[in-house]
Parts: sequence; structure tokens; C-alpha cells
Amino acid sequence: MISFNKYILENGLTVIHHEDKTTELCVLNILYNVGSKDEDPNKTGFAHLFEHLMFGGSKNIKEFDKELQKAAGESNAFTSNDITNYYLTLPANNIETGFWLESDRMLNLNITQKSLTVQKSVVIEEFKERYLNQPYGDLWLKILPLAYTVHPYSWATIGKEIVHIEAATIEDVKLFFKRFYCPNNAILSIAGNISLEKTKQLVDKWFSSIPAQVSKRVPYKKEPEQTLARHETFKTNVPLDAIIKAYHCCERSSPDYYATDMLCDVLGAGRSSRLYNTLVKEKKLFSSIDCYITSDIDPGLFIIEGKLIKGINIKDAENAIFQEIKQIKSSPISDYEIQKIKNKTETNIRFNDIGVLNKAMKLAYCELLGDINLVNTESNQYLSVSSDNIQSVSNNILNESNCSTVYYLAK
Amino acid sequence: MRIDINKKIAPESEEINNINFIQAQLYVLKTGLNIHYISAGTEDVIRLDLVFDGGINKQEQNAVAVATNTMLAEGTSKYSAKQIAEQLDYYGAYFQTHCTADDSVVTLYCLKKHFSSCVPYIIEIISDSVFPEKELETYKTNAIQRLAVNEQRNSFLNRRIFYSSIFGKQCCYGTYSSSVDYEKISRETLVSFFNHNYKMGIKYILMAGCVDETILKVCEQLFSGIPVSILTKKPITEFDYPLPKSYFIEKKDSVQSAIRIGRALFNRTHPDNSSLQLLNLILGGYFGSRLMRNIREEKGLTYGIHSSVESYLRSGCFYISTEINAPLQEKGLTEIYREISNLRKTVIPHDELMLAKNYMMGSFLRSVDGPFSIMDRHKILIDYKLSYQYYYNFIEKVKNTTPNNLIEIANKYLQEQDLIEVIVGKKNAK
Repeated sequence: MISFNKYILENGLTVIHHEDKTTELCVLNILYNVGSKDEDPNKTGFAHLFEHLMFGGSKNIKEFDKELQKAAGESNAFTSNDITNYYLTLPANNIETGFWLESDRMLNLNITQKSLTVQKSVVIEEFKERYLNQPYGDLWLKILPLAYTVHPYSWATIGKEIVHIEAATIEDVKLFFKRFYCPNNAILSIAGNISLEKTKQLVDKWFSSIPAQVSKRVPYKKEPEQTLARHETFKTNVPLDAIIKAYHCCERSSPDYYATDMLCDVLGAGRSSRLYNTLVKEKKLFSSIDCYITSDIDPGLFIIEGKLIKGINIKDAENAIFQEIKQIKSSPISDYEIQKIKNKTETNIRFNDIGVLNKAMKLAYCELLGDINLVNTESNQYLSVSSDNIQSVSNNILNESNCSTVYYLAK
Repeated sequence: MRIDINKKIAPESEEINNINFIQAQLYVLKTGLNIHYISAGTEDVIRLDLVFDGGINKQEQNAVAVATNTMLAEGTSKYSAKQIAEQLDYYGAYFQTHCTADDSVVTLYCLKKHFSSCVPYIIEIISDSVFPEKELETYKTNAIQRLAVNEQRNSFLNRRIFYSSIFGKQCCYGTYSSSVDYEKISRETLVSFFNHNYKMGIKYILMAGCVDETILKVCEQLFSGIPVSILTKKPITEFDYPLPKSYFIEKKDSVQSAIRIGRALFNRTHPDNSSLQLLNLILGGYFGSRLMRNIREEKGLTYGIHSSVESYLRSGCFYISTEINAPLQEKGLTEIYREISNLRKTVIPHDELMLAKNYMMGSFLRSVDGPFSIMDRHKILIDYKLSYQYYYNFIEKVKNTTPNNLIEIANKYLQEQDLIEVIVGKKNAK
């Protein structure tokens, strides 16, 4: 059970508080409801570049990190398709420094041309390090544009290509800030050794005077239903052949989400999962195979990804995946297997709830999903999934006409 | 009425003066086996670690220690690999193994309510693993394939060359396995390594999370047949610290070069350890470090650059590592050496030192938050035969370190001629 208090300020900022007296730390997490899906298709990678700029100085504070480190704190952030999430951890006694820092950069940034130029280079190096200079690093750059034809999930958070990052200007930065970085587009969660009273006092002192903005969200297109299988093959400099199959699936807040997640576990979670046992251990077609879902706010992807044993024909390997899919679609999943997945899910939830940082993030995210109580009720949602639910989801999702497939063939 | 606040001035913050963290307790089983446990945390979960003398320092043939450790759950005389995986998954448990140069660990993560159902399988694994030929073949094929993928990464190749260069390929801290080494592994070698380093007994047990009387009683019963390991064999590998030598490996298609600069040093029991740690932090140990500020935040040459101090039971090392924009790598190298040279020549300003000390205390505080993190700290004390006083002394020493101490340390350990440089990537015209 994660206990919490929630309230909304006049300027629209949602505030969540969770007290934990067993820690000496306090965490401040701010989720901004903006991600790469909110980008201009010709200026992709911008939400993430912007995240870097948030550390480059704000209205009254020259160096964010320096001030935080002085107070013995640490911070980081991440950007996804849907959100940009900032978090910092401080000794509980010094948490006011966190309020000062976060509120000032919500108030206004102070971006110089130099800081923009440098962070563009840093992000370009990140692009190279994570996506270009590694075998299979460009997987998302290949699969997303195949799976999404009109929806902005068709580009990766890092951006479509390096030139988009290079082209960003100070004006873009200012406009983006005005549109998305305002209290009415943010969720602030505070977790740790701090009372509700003190939280309220600090939130009032630092955040209540920040004005709300008219948030101008640009509408984007829904992805139409896929009706034909899509394929693409890349002959490239990788050591092993690989298959990536991406099926459209439901959005994070759909009632089907839990059954979809469990379907994924039946196929791919742990050493006793079906794909690992059959395709890696018994048939020895793959050296590794994984199955996961993207859990996005809009309808996401159900991914099966495997690296082949040298010498195995890629069609044979894919046929073996088809057989597993056929199996799960046609024969009911046993009570035993369902119970196993439920037990695994329970463990995952319990272990993920360790530590105040995880709790702060989870609280903010569930609030964004539209129901903060999900922090405690999701385990029941999983428990109520039946064999029929999973099977029906598998019949809806795991069809070739709903799938984009990428082959990597070793040169 | 709202009181106007001056937003240019930071709120008051306190220095961290003492760190109180929960200490582990000791429970000795009737067999003499030590269980170090920490009962804390808000969730009903348990992490169990069984620690063995099965580290790389015990292997007589490359790849054997890691292979034995990784294959522990691949079958016992009673259960197949599939049955073990099935049962542990059924109880929602996570089973992990880990092998370092100095020891090896078998870890179970599970909910408290399933603890007594899971542990018997773990006991089965560590006392009766049989390493079936069929599973070994799969392991070898997959390990060789994984290696092939890793060998395409500049950073992987760089790390491997660096450690073998500073410690020597014969030493457990410098050795690495090739695909030929994996090919050579036989079932007999694994069984023999298992018999000597696992079956002979557990060194000690760690438990963190929701540990109570009932759980300890369960352990008393379940571990009653498991011997305590007595260190019979000395570590095999010897040190042959090679002469400092730099390496360049060309990878033509690289858009970034992986760079590592460093040397072998000492472990955490050395009197200069705390000052070196602080110096390292200032150079490249946190986001506000000199290398990060200069090479990333000022010049944008990299996504990240770090320096590290690593401690092993019988040695240690220091290094700077980064992946840098290939066409500008010479510029990066010049800046790295400039920063090292500055540490030797110029006194660190008071403000920078204070900030680094505060950050270090905060980082220590974060590292002892929660039962699992505290247990990781406790394991260090057991392995290096230290008491909690070690951490209190460390904090005290860091607080008392002066700018002059740091210049001395930099001159003692960070002379350019003592550092080796490994580059994997593109060749630049010098």
C-alpha cells in the first residue's frame, strides 16, 4: 500500500505527497505532460534536447546542478514518447533547495546560444553512442517508422535524424517552453521524510505564484488500423541475424492492458517462458529472444525480438515464432500458467515499490493516466485477468496483418 | 499576505555531519554458517545472497568460473533446468548468479510468503548441480554469440584491453575469455570447479528485507545440511603488472572512439584511499566534475565522461573513460591530460572542494538508503575484514582532507608517465 495525499493549486499544478519516515531522504519528481509525440515532424528529437536545456540555468539560478550538489543532492531526467520526467533526491533536511531549483525552472529558463549549441553536440554524441555506434542500436529507428504511418510514435525520442537536432533554434526553445512548461501541464510529487504540512508550506512558497499558461497542444493524427503485413530487410554490419516483430496493441489505460502485459509474460518472461523454452532451449533456433510491450499513453506496440543462432534460416526461425503464436491463440492457457504469471507480477510490483524515488515516479505517472489510485489497485487488475482474456487479446493482436517485421541480416 | 522571497538566494541547507544507518545483525546457524541480515524496508520482500569462493581467481582455465556460476540452475540430479525455472517462476521468484574476480554469488529475490518454497530449489542448485552436456552445448553456443555482439562494441573491446594491460592477462583482474576458451569448456571441468568451490560449502549468507524470527528458523532448518566453506585453496592467479603501454585499435566505421586512461593502484584498505576517492570525484566522479564540465558541458565532445576508482580484494585501479566524437578526439585527449595536470599543479579552490565533499556525503547517504543498498555496503565490510568504523573513519577523513593533501595525492598517483591510454576507434591525424 502506498499512502498519498493529492491536491491541485490554483495555477493548475497537481501536487502529490507521500511520507516515509524510515528514510533520511526526500525526492522531488516533476512530470511534464510533453513527450516526443508533441513534436513537429520536421523538428524531431526536440523534447529530449529540451530536457538537456532544463539543466542550463533558469531565471534566477545560473547553475542548476552546482546548487543541488552543494546541498548534497543529485538529479536526473528522462524523456519518452509521452512525458518528460525530472527528479532530484536530497537529504530530507535540505529539500527546500529542490523546491527552489524546480520552481525556478518552471518559472522561466535562461537559455544562452552557447548552452544550446553545446547541448546539441552532447545530444548528437548521445545519438551516436546509443543508436549508431552499437550493433542493433538503430533498431527503433527502423521499426517505428514501419509500424506507425501517421502517428508521431513513428519517430524515436532521440529524433528521426541528426539534422533535426542540429536545426533547433533559440526561438524553438522559447516557444516549446511556453507551450508545455507550465504548472497546469505538470504533476509534482514529493516523497520521503517530509510531513504533509511542511510539503504544503513549501509548495505554496515556491510554486503557487507561477502563472498558468494557455497550453497549446497541436493535435496529431490517430494511427489507422493496419490491414496488411509490413516487412523490411536490412543487410548490415551486425554479427548475427535478428528478427523484430512489432504488433499494434492497446494503450496503457485500456482495460485490455493487463491481459496484454500478461500475454507478453506467458510468451517471454523468465526462463520458464514459452518462447525461451521452445525456441532457445529445445529447438535451438535463437540465442536470445525477448517479448515486451511499449506501454504508451496512445496505442502502443507488442514486440517480439530475437537473435538467431548462426546458420539458421531466418524464415525457419520466424515460422517457429508463428507456431508459438498459433498455439497460444488456439489452446487455452492452463490455470497453473496463469497463476505463475500472476505470482510473477505480484513480485514485480512489490520490488518496484521499493524506495521513495520509485514511489514518487509511480504516483505521478498514475495521476497522468487519470487515476492515481492505480498505484495500489493495479495488482488487483492483474489478478482478475482470466485465461479467456489473454486468449482473446492474443487473437486480436498477434496477426501478421497487424505486424511490422524487420530482419537484420549479417553482411 | 504573501511574503516576497528573493529567488536569487538559495535556501539554507545543512551539511551532513553524521550518517546513521542500520547495521546488519549476525545469526549463526548450528552448522556454524553465518547469516548477516538486515530487517528493514516497507515491503514484504526478501533478497537472499549465498556467497561462495567461486570467483575467477579460482579458475585454472579461462571462462570456467563464469560458466559454472551461470549454469548452476541448468539441472541437478533431481530436476531438469526447465523444472527448476518453472518452480522458481511459479513462486514469482527471481534467481540470479554473479561471478566476479574475487567471489561468486547466488541471489534469490522473492516475496516473504514464498521464501520457504523457493529456498529448497536454491539449495538443490548449489549442492547438486550436474551441468548436463546438452545444456552446456547451448550455453557455449549462446555465450560465443553474445561475445560476437559485444566484440562489435568499441567500449567493450576497450575495457578488455585496458584491464589486461594494467593487471596482466594471467591475473584474475585482467583476464578475459575468447570464443576458443568457451569452446574448450568441458562438462568435467565444470563439475570439478563446482565440487571444489560450491559443493564444499557456502562462505556466508546475506539476507535483507522483511527478515524475522520465522525466516531465520526456516533457514536453520533448510541450510542444516550445507557445510561452511573453509578456504582450502589459495587464489591461483598471479600478478604480473606489465609495463605501462598504450594501445590503439582501429575500427574504421566508428563515429565515436572509446577512450580509457588509467592505471593499477590499491584497494580500499590503503591509507590514501579516501583522498583518492575525493580527488577522483572532483576530476570525473559526478555530473559537476571537471571532466564533465569541460569536455561535455563546455565543449560538447561527448555524451558522458567519467573517472572511477575500483577496489578489489587484492588490488585496485583508477581510470577515466569516455566515448568521444571521433574527428575531435585529439582535442578531447588534450583536455583530459590538461585536467589531470591541473590537479597536480593547482590547488583546488575552497568552494569546489566543499561542494565535492557535500556531494560525496549525500551520495553516501543515498547509498545506504533501503535494506538492499545497506547490505551491499555490509558485504564490503565482511570481504575486506573491516568493521563499521571503516565507514565512519572514511567520512571523517573526507571531511578533513585539505587542498594540499589532494595535490600531494595527484602528484603521487596521477603522473602522466604512469598512466596507460587505450583507444578503440578511428585514427586521427595527429
